[in-house]
Amino acid sequence: MSHHFPAILFLLPLFAAISMPVVCLKHRQWSRPISLAVLGAMVVVSILNLISVINHGEVRYAFSGWTAPLGIEWVADGLASVISVALSFLGLTALIFAGPTSPKDLGGRIVHYYVLILLLISALTGIVFAGDLFNLFVFLEVAAISSYALIGVAGGRALFAAFRYLVLGTLGASLYLLGVSYFYAATGTLNMADIAEKLPQLLTSKAVVGGLLFMFIGLGIKMALVPFHAWLPEAYTYAPESISPILAALVTKVALLGWLRIIYWVLGAKVIVYDIPVLLLVGVLGSLAAVIGAVLALTQRNIKMMFAYGGISHIGIILIGISQGNQIGFVGGVFYLLNDAVMQAALFFLAGVAICQYGVRTVEDIGRIGKQTPWVTGPLIVVALGMIGLPPTGGFFGKWYIILGALEENNYIAVAAVLLSTLLTLAYFLKLFEGIFRQKPTQADIQLGEIPFPFKVSLGVTSAAVIILGLFSDPIVKLLLNHALPPGI
Amino acid sequence: MVDLFSAVFQRLNFLTFVIIFLWGFYIMVTRYNLVKKLVGMYLVQTSVIFFLVSISAKKNSTAPVLLSTTEPVQALNYANPLPHVLTLTAIVVGVATLGVALALCAAIYRRYGSLDEEEILKKLE
Repeated sequence: MSHHFPAILFLLPLFAAISMPVVCLKHRQWSRPISLAVLGAMVVVSILNLISVINHGEVRYAFSGWTAPLGIEWVADGLASVISVALSFLGLTALIFAGPTSPKDLGGRIVHYYVLILLLISALTGIVFAGDLFNLFVFLEVAAISSYALIGVAGGRALFAAFRYLVLGTLGASLYLLGVSYFYAATGTLNMADIAEKLPQLLTSKAVVGGLLFMFIGLGIKMALVPFHAWLPEAYTYAPESISPILAALVTKVALLGWLRIIYWVLGAKVIVYDIPVLLLVGVLGSLAAVIGAVLALTQRNIKMMFAYGGISHIGIILIGISQGNQIGFVGGVFYLLNDAVMQAALFFLAGVAICQYGVRTVEDIGRIGKQTPWVTGPLIVVALGMIGLPPTGGFFGKWYIILGALEENNYIAVAAVLLSTLLTLAYFLKLFEGIFRQKPTQADIQLGEIPFPFKVSLGVTSAAVIILGLFSDPIVKLLLNHALPPGI
Repeated sequence: MVDLFSAVFQRLNFLTFVIIFLWGFYIMVTRYNLVKKLVGMYLVQTSVIFFLVSISAKKNSTAPVLLSTTEPVQALNYANPLPHVLTLTAIVVGVATLGVALALCAAIYRRYGSLDEEEILKKLE
């Protein structure tokens, strides 16, 4: 039974999404409880899957019995299992949050709205477990198409932002597919483990190098790496309040996981292509993203825009961690990825509460939520501590291990980039807190009542998770060290 | 130089792919009309699909249906079917993307009364 868990994790939301338009034909109010139940079941199954992977080692699931390299293979190793736990947990909290914030004028289309959310989550699960390059492409596109549609739901400016995201995202997907076909032409296989066996003799082949370049650029667009990040801030800012947490927490991180798979599991850790060490390239791109993203975040007035740029800079920090090529750096990067997913979700929950409950969109207005409720300022302080990287939050330990990894390689530029981006993060959160605590409440500031219960749940759970990841960082890092390391480091 | 030319013109499929890809990319970047952008985008997708199909072609080979059940299978006689299957999936993905894109275009037109990027940007400010 336990070896079926990865397939169940993917099929649960997929079947729910496909059957929902029929099941909810008459009773559209059922769509939300069904989605919540599916995500709740996913949390349970993903935890069971993680336990079974820890106890019995990785699962290689061959769909309908066709084994790799001929069949479609799913790889549930430690890394994928840990990430799938985070994915289903954050999906559940985001869905709890989505209830009161979903657009009011959807009417009967509320069913399709939940169908799209479930499709997005099943596609992301697919990316996490995919064992071959072409499946990765298909799931990337399913996730992307659902996110285009979900962003467009908000109407108005979101339509244009979604259109831009669509054009750039499709260009990225085409480049990725081109890279995959180059790899296929060079190696004759699509299975990651199989390519990894055949690749070492082929590293001087122009097809492999070109394919690698195209795949990196394609996935780089999907994960909003700095030169290709133009689509992200607008898309996340104008997306519906209930959707931006899911997108910000999961979509870019999971695309990054695809990069990670290609770098460590397909290419091998210490690979050098035409005299350029791939990891060095990743480190440089990561450092640039970490600093530039934080600088851009500092210049924003719109809070959602600021958080979106913050997310771009944190993608860079994760890349710095995984590019060190040693165990501590890699584990630090993956641990920071988990933290960042939780923190991004919490930040966009906060922005959503600020917009829906208090009508606050910019730093100038944010004084209005000042003394309103501990349910907003409390989580904001916790998440800010995490984003800046102060103990006892998980953000601190993530950055700590990343810096330890960089020091082990004597890579002082990476250390400097992490520290600089931390200082800039501190600066833009100070700007936010100055707005909250310095500004006097104006007369327009009427008492706006208690925030709804689902908001409290999602805010409380995510900010508790930020602290818990910090307090239990030691066992989590040990778990990652023992079960989630790639071959060769 | 001659080497370069012969290398390029011996790979006609690759040349065609590059031309279609760059053509589509050029349209995507230079046109302001949103639907024209989509045409460019679709050309880019199609060029990649064309490339995938073309690498599976082989001289003197046929569709991968067994010619004889008694003789041992000669792989040289058959074209590689896998890229075609990948292509089918890629086409479906492309069509779905295009459908969402056209729906977005229609919604943008209903909202802003125009499909011209510059006009819409003016109205957004």
